[in-house]
Amino acid sequence: MSADPIVRIRGVHKFFTRGSEQIDVLNDLNLEVPEGEFLGLMGPSGSGKTTLLNLIAGLDRPSEGEVWIGNSCVSKMSEAQLARWRTRNIGFIFQFYHLLPVLTAFENVELPLILLPLSKAERHQQVMTALDLVGLSDRLSHRPGQLSGGQQQRVGIARAIVTDPTLIVADEPTGDLDSRSATEILDLLGELQKSLHKTILLVTHDPRAAERASRILHLHKGQLVEAGADGVKTSIRAELPSGALPGTPDTAIRAEQR
Amino acid sequence: MSLLTIITLAISIAVLVAAAVVLVLNPRLFLLIYRNLGRNFLRTSLTSVAIVVLVIMVTMIWTVVSFLDASTAEQSQNIKLIVTERWQLPSQMPSSHADYMDPEKPNAILPELKPYVGKDDFMTWSFYGGSTEKDPSKRTRDNLVFMFAMNPEHIRPMMDDLQDLDPKIIEQMQKDESLVLLGKERLEMMNMKVGDKFTLVSMNYKGIDLKFTVGPVLPGNRYNLMGIMNANYFNRGFDTYRTENKNQPHPLENRRLNLIWLRVRDKDAVAKVGGIIENSPTFSDRPLKCETASSGIAAFLDAYRDLLFGMKWLLVPAILISMTLVISNAIAITVRERRTEMAVLKVLGFRPLQILVMVLGEAVLVGGLSGFIATLGSIAIINWVFGGIPFPIAFFPAFTVPLDALAWGFAIGAGTGLLGSCLPAWTARSVKVSEVFAKVA
Repeated sequence: MSADPIVRIRGVHKFFTRGSEQIDVLNDLNLEVPEGEFLGLMGPSGSGKTTLLNLIAGLDRPSEGEVWIGNSCVSKMSEAQLARWRTRNIGFIFQFYHLLPVLTAFENVELPLILLPLSKAERHQQVMTALDLVGLSDRLSHRPGQLSGGQQQRVGIARAIVTDPTLIVADEPTGDLDSRSATEILDLLGELQKSLHKTILLVTHDPRAAERASRILHLHKGQLVEAGADGVKTSIRAELPSGALPGTPDTAIRAEQR
Repeated sequence: MSLLTIITLAISIAVLVAAAVVLVLNPRLFLLIYRNLGRNFLRTSLTSVAIVVLVIMVTMIWTVVSFLDASTAEQSQNIKLIVTERWQLPSQMPSSHADYMDPEKPNAILPELKPYVGKDDFMTWSFYGGSTEKDPSKRTRDNLVFMFAMNPEHIRPMMDDLQDLDPKIIEQMQKDESLVLLGKERLEMMNMKVGDKFTLVSMNYKGIDLKFTVGPVLPGNRYNLMGIMNANYFNRGFDTYRTENKNQPHPLENRRLNLIWLRVRDKDAVAKVGGIIENSPTFSDRPLKCETASSGIAAFLDAYRDLLFGMKWLLVPAILISMTLVISNAIAITVRERRTEMAVLKVLGFRPLQILVMVLGEAVLVGGLSGFIATLGSIAIINWVFGGIPFPIAFFPAFTVPLDALAWGFAIGAGTGLLGSCLPAWTARSVKVSEVFAKVA
């Protein structure tokens, strides 16, 4: 596993406005995720997990701060740039699969590839590879309505990995599955992380899912806290080491015991 | 080609080119557009049916209106002139009036007219009407026949839509002067077929009852309810009347000519010929007027002006607006249902423009195809089954839907689809992923 961080978040604030009221969701948040890590993100409802995920996936912009994925500052891209960037760099796995019901499994997995300059043969090969990896190459022509929940989520995972993205983001991927299917999905994600060295960010309420991660972070009052071996949660805040972000001054990490 | 056809053709071509570009650049996007229409088959079908019905209505109105516009539009070349009496309607001119304009009578024709009127640029009409039923109380529309009595040699060069009539039919009419050409609908109403014989009891030339033999059917729909007879046979009727009435002429013997048609080269010739005829001392006892065919028709249509205006500028726009709203409603519902899906597409990397194109494409596809089917069906059913739109205006019996309508239908459907889907497409394009998944999560 490479030590270079693939995700770098610095001083991110995110708030929403409801009428005259400002609701702070993320507060001076900092995060580094090394390449190849399987990171679990937990927190109560409304803690900002999905908001953080959206910032990392380039689906939203922070009110303040910077978000870097690889060498791309996604917080400064335009909508069109973000769309193009997402196709190649982000694989998103949804809680409710969100497959297009009018397309077959094959066509759903192929969907991100139609935005890339690939030939039909190349697209076909990549789709088959992805479906093989998730063990669904015998369900090519089935529509989502003809697949079980677990199978649909496998298709969702295939769709997420078909473009060989830099980062896989999974928002409660087992939230809508029974225990057995959930285990299969988590096994699959673990396998992807190990065999393909994929960086995976997993948002979950499920402690069993979180256990699969190599590191677990909790979102609490808009800030990230890390659970240590002794159960003590350490807030990840403020400065990052020199060179962590291009153009940033030297700083040191400080941790607070809670 | 009318302006309407040019505009609709341009719209149709633009839409087809855009569709071809999408198909070539991204066939999968095209597949997605097509599959999305099948998502709710009932809704798509009902929307399609509504478009078909509304396009048929517009097609029928435009058929009538565009035909009348074409008929009343002034030509710039090969212009037909109608010569009639200035102070009497209908005209009842002596036959000799025609001789002064007939290029086949070089000794009689007005010398000033010779340079302007060629052998095939002249025609006369006398109207002969009667019934196959002797008893006036039993006469109905079905047994009444109205005919143009004319020289058969003038049919092909001068009669609209009969330029391609088989020359053998002309020869038959000259050989058997009692042969009459009837329209298809007239024959059906009389319950007769080619070869049958009948006698007409004349209603406008009392005492001149003539026997006829049914000849070949007049092609097309323009003369569906009418007939064409040989003028020689008509004129011999007056001779027979004299013979049967102690050499007394028929009261209308000297008033049997109703219309003279001339065709001239251009607008300059129209002015010159008009001046010659209207100012000639030859016709001082029965002054004549000379007008173009289109202005003659326009004069007839003056009484229907408000009706035609209402059809063209009120009814058609109302229908087009209704169509736009129908499509807008259907697309808005489908976009609302697929808000999460739009967000997912954005997550996958679809740009806002692509989502906009997808939604517009759905509307244009269902609108354009439905419109095209509507006009194709109109041409087939209205023309081939019903023989045209029986709109009783002036002397036009029926209006046939032109082939141009194929462009109309596609353009109307695609155009209103595009217009109606603008707002829903913009909404789809503007879906905020973070807001959608904030609710979902």
